[in-house]
Amino acid sequence: MKKRKRYFLSYMMQYSYLLLGAVVCVCMLNLAIVRGNSVIGSVIDEMLSGNEVRLDVFLPEFIAITAAGFALAFLGQQLAGLYSVKVSGTYRKRVVQKLYHIEYAYLKNENTATIINKINSDMAEAESFLQYPLPMLISDITAVIIYAVYIGSMNLSLLIVMLVSYPAVFWIAGTLVKKISVLSGTYRAKSDAITGIAQDALSGILVLRSFGLEDYFQGQMQKATKALVDNEEKRTRLSNTAIVVRNMIQWLPNIICAVYCVVLVGRGVFSLGSLLAFIVVLGKMVQSFIGIPWCFVDAAGNIVCIKRIEEILNTPDEISGDETEGKTDTDVIISLKDLCFAYMQDSTVLDGVNLTVRAGENIAFVGESGGGKSTIFNLLCGFYAPKSGSYKLYGREISEWNAQAARERLALVSQNVFLFPATVAENVGYGNPDATQEEIVEACKKAQIHDFIMTLPQGYQTITGERGALLSGGQKQRISIARAILKNAPVLLLDEPTSAVDVETEDLIQKALENVMEGRTCITIAHRLSTIQNADCIYVLSGGKIVENGTHTELLDAGGVYAKMYSMKNISESVKDAG
Amino acid sequence: MLFMPENVIKGIFHLWENEGSMEAKMKKKISTWNLLVRTIRVMGKRSVLYLVSIVMLSASLAMFGVFSALLMKCVVDIAPTGDMRRLIGTILAIVAGGGISLLIYRFFCVRYNVEAKRVYGVIYEKVLDLEMKLPYAYYEKHHSGEIMSKVSFDLGRMGDIYGSRLRRTMTPFLQVIVFLVPMLLLSWQLTLCLVAVNGIMLAIDMLMAEPMRRVSRSLSGINSQMTQRLSDLLQGMEQARMYRTGEQTVQSYIKENDKYVRKSRRGIFFNAILSSSSNGFDLLCMLVFLLLGVFFVQKGFTTLGALAAIYTLYGRFSDQFLELGKYFPELIAYLAYAQNIFDFLEEEREPEHMGGLKAADNGNSDMAVSMQDIDFSYETAAQQDGLLLNQFCMNIRQGECVAITGASGCGKTTVSKLLLGLYPIKSGSICIEGKNVLSMTKREWRQNIAYVPQEPYLFYGSVMENIRMGRLDATDEEVMEAARLANAHGFIVNLENGYDTEVGERGSRLSGGQRQRIAIARAILKRAPVMLLDEATSALDNESEQLVNDAMKKLQRQMTIIMIAHRPSTIALADRVVEMG
Repeated sequence: MKKRKRYFLSYMMQYSYLLLGAVVCVCMLNLAIVRGNSVIGSVIDEMLSGNEVRLDVFLPEFIAITAAGFALAFLGQQLAGLYSVKVSGTYRKRVVQKLYHIEYAYLKNENTATIINKINSDMAEAESFLQYPLPMLISDITAVIIYAVYIGSMNLSLLIVMLVSYPAVFWIAGTLVKKISVLSGTYRAKSDAITGIAQDALSGILVLRSFGLEDYFQGQMQKATKALVDNEEKRTRLSNTAIVVRNMIQWLPNIICAVYCVVLVGRGVFSLGSLLAFIVVLGKMVQSFIGIPWCFVDAAGNIVCIKRIEEILNTPDEISGDETEGKTDTDVIISLKDLCFAYMQDSTVLDGVNLTVRAGENIAFVGESGGGKSTIFNLLCGFYAPKSGSYKLYGREISEWNAQAARERLALVSQNVFLFPATVAENVGYGNPDATQEEIVEACKKAQIHDFIMTLPQGYQTITGERGALLSGGQKQRISIARAILKNAPVLLLDEPTSAVDVETEDLIQKALENVMEGRTCITIAHRLSTIQNADCIYVLSGGKIVENGTHTELLDAGGVYAKMYSMKNISESVKDAG
Repeated sequence: MLFMPENVIKGIFHLWENEGSMEAKMKKKISTWNLLVRTIRVMGKRSVLYLVSIVMLSASLAMFGVFSALLMKCVVDIAPTGDMRRLIGTILAIVAGGGISLLIYRFFCVRYNVEAKRVYGVIYEKVLDLEMKLPYAYYEKHHSGEIMSKVSFDLGRMGDIYGSRLRRTMTPFLQVIVFLVPMLLLSWQLTLCLVAVNGIMLAIDMLMAEPMRRVSRSLSGINSQMTQRLSDLLQGMEQARMYRTGEQTVQSYIKENDKYVRKSRRGIFFNAILSSSSNGFDLLCMLVFLLLGVFFVQKGFTTLGALAAIYTLYGRFSDQFLELGKYFPELIAYLAYAQNIFDFLEEEREPEHMGGLKAADNGNSDMAVSMQDIDFSYETAAQQDGLLLNQFCMNIRQGECVAITGASGCGKTTVSKLLLGLYPIKSGSICIEGKNVLSMTKREWRQNIAYVPQEPYLFYGSVMENIRMGRLDATDEEVMEAARLANAHGFIVNLENGYDTEVGERGSRLSGGQRQRIAIARAILKRAPVMLLDEATSALDNESEQLVNDAMKKLQRQMTIIMIAHRPSTIALADRVVEMG
């Protein structure tokens, strides 16, 4: 097992010089503030002792401190911001590149909307980790240290009193923070429920309306908002109690320290000017101190999300070797030997499949759904690696092939056609980025979709909607065929559409398929048997095994599974004629 | 609001509008001020409780701040005297005062939060109500993501106005005033000078606000582009890997990402200026304070204790000032989301009756469905030759089972939508069960038809709940009976939790055939006289199709059935076939 790599951390290290610069700026800014305070304290002491205040002595120093404050705050923020943007930008880029090469199984286990949501929200969390808790934590901790050193240098015993009285506050603040963050978690869930109802009502609007469910949904919504309001009442009661307690407790060390100060001043150990400066610094220090546990809670939330992204980055890539050319001494294009495969540990999908496809052959797979037809295509495309046995493409093991180069040889017309939200021309051109406009039109003509495209308002420049919503299933299918024609790969993998299209469209698709199959080695998954009667060999798959193979007539004569399927189909055809 | 004449506030708002972009000004006739008033009016009478809560919680929070400062004042003032008893007595009194003001704060804060969430719920219910009652064409023209983004994005942010933005702007404003009073009392000269310095800082922050808003707006634009690219890549992964072009999608994401990084750097610059001004002015104010303090104490205008108290008060005062500078522009920006919601709420609803036509006679009561001389087209201003349905007629007898077929695009699905009253017809008449639909409300009309769509949508919830949506008062037995008729009972009882199994988002945990049979059970349970199936079997494999067809056979004669269908085996079930085209 390879050791998990920590990508986020490595990018953080890569740009750490920016963070370091920011930290230096923050330290110096805090020093400037402390210095400014002690100047004020000393001036007040001078004043109280009745001496003339020498403006010309402290004024230049203080102006210098102020100017430094402006510059350091600007520089510090600029560096910290740059750090966050650079690290998160590089990280985002890395994740998307990873997704393009990640093993296919990962993508199939989750639906895309979930992955997108996850990446978007987790990425935002990673970014906010760099923007908020990290720099805050650093600046709060340095501030506390610098202020503590300053107070200690004024009077050591005062520092000790502080150190004794503060951990209590620290601890109480920490526990309260944890309780509150749990409560805000339930709030999120309640408000998500509300959005869920709205989403459900909208997606199912046709059913909702035809069944007159408006009142039912309104009732659900009222229930959900009531739950939200009730939860809010509970939550704010608790969190505000926490605020009351926290604020009162925050006073406690202030009072202790102040009383101790008074004692010190009374003894003459401590000057009044120092007392004033102490009060100001104490206020700032308390602020930073209280901030630290909040930073930790935020950071903990962020880190969970970063870990989830790290998991994606540590998922293996799909297998890809270095070979880009097949062996030339054979006309066997695809050969499968004892091929076994399972998506999960103990549910075999393919169980010892053997077959050979020679150049120019036309073969087909038939069989019940779940028999392993689509799985064979997934393996042929190299989306999954075989568990055992061998799959040779052009005489070379699939694991030796460079994945991209292997796929160059395969054109896939699948059932789930994805159209990108771009023009029709761009969508067809996806098959070959170098294709000219003429070639695209030519491919569309062969795919029998050209005439339809010309009826669209902007012809080839018409934008297809999200998931190509504007086009029907048959039209999308033909666009996918046009892509395959444009790609001009020697091997065609064709997954027939299951859903029925009307007779006219079916004719068009049939014609398009004839065009794309011409001169290519073809492998078809057939759902209706009418299209494959001319195949050179038909393989009947059942339970992950090839149970029969042969030509249409051979299989009919054999009177096995295929013959039974064929007769069933004929019954439903004859029913049609009768109707 | 209590302390400033209304026209002054209006003036501030107008100042803001002028800084807004031209485009925004053209679009909005309503002033920001009116929009704010409208946003608050939505709450109705509860707005009084809500606003009073904000005022009270701000005031009590400020009082707590004042008590904190007084604590420091008494420490400094009593310190030189060394009178411990007096010191402790004063401290106790102040602590008690602070405690009481915090308790007041807690009370009003809870009220405020509850009211804020309540109004959020009320608006949500309004939006949902509209969302469900838009004319059907609206759903077809607008991407569902567009409506959902209104619901989740705009409404969420509008809720934020009640839940935080308004308070965040009002509280610092009120607190500033509360702090100002004791500061002025302690030393008005010093206070005025300090306020002047803060005024400069606020002005600088305000200047930053507009460019920052522009940056964040364009960042969110780029971000949505990035999401789209990512979604393209993931949804089209099969294609992306099979074609060389996949690399391009990755590259275009990276390009957007680089743009995002560049834009972010501009945002960082403004942030750095803000940080610089807040820290720098902090020091500068210290300087001003020091110089003036020295001067005033020497001249005897004020005591050292007052100086200390002003200083602590001033720390808080200046924090609040900063907050005001930060949150006020945000509130203005958020009002734009409220505007979106108000605009959405003004969308036209589907009329309760189908209007526009003369009330025609009732049809023949032997006919379950009768459509006479229907002209229809999706375009609003259609010419005669552009009609999709031209003088279309269809009569279906009670108890008949009719299949409608025809090439795609000939209007089969349109007929089913017209039967459901989803679109207004141009002319002609529709009668259901011998009654003209004009004499009923749309809801009464739809009560007569049990509809099974091509995509069998299941709602989030259990199998039982989904079937029961057919008739909400149905008993468990009736639900199961309907499921049996639909050939669904068998697989349902074999599910993990039987009828209580959750179907997942859109029924994703069930297969297409299973979902379709649940949809049919739902339609059966409705007990409507007419059942309408829109290509209910077209996406199913042979086995599921067989089960669905068996279910249909059981229902024949019990009700009128209209099936839009392609498959020969489905068409074979019908008593009569209507060929369109």
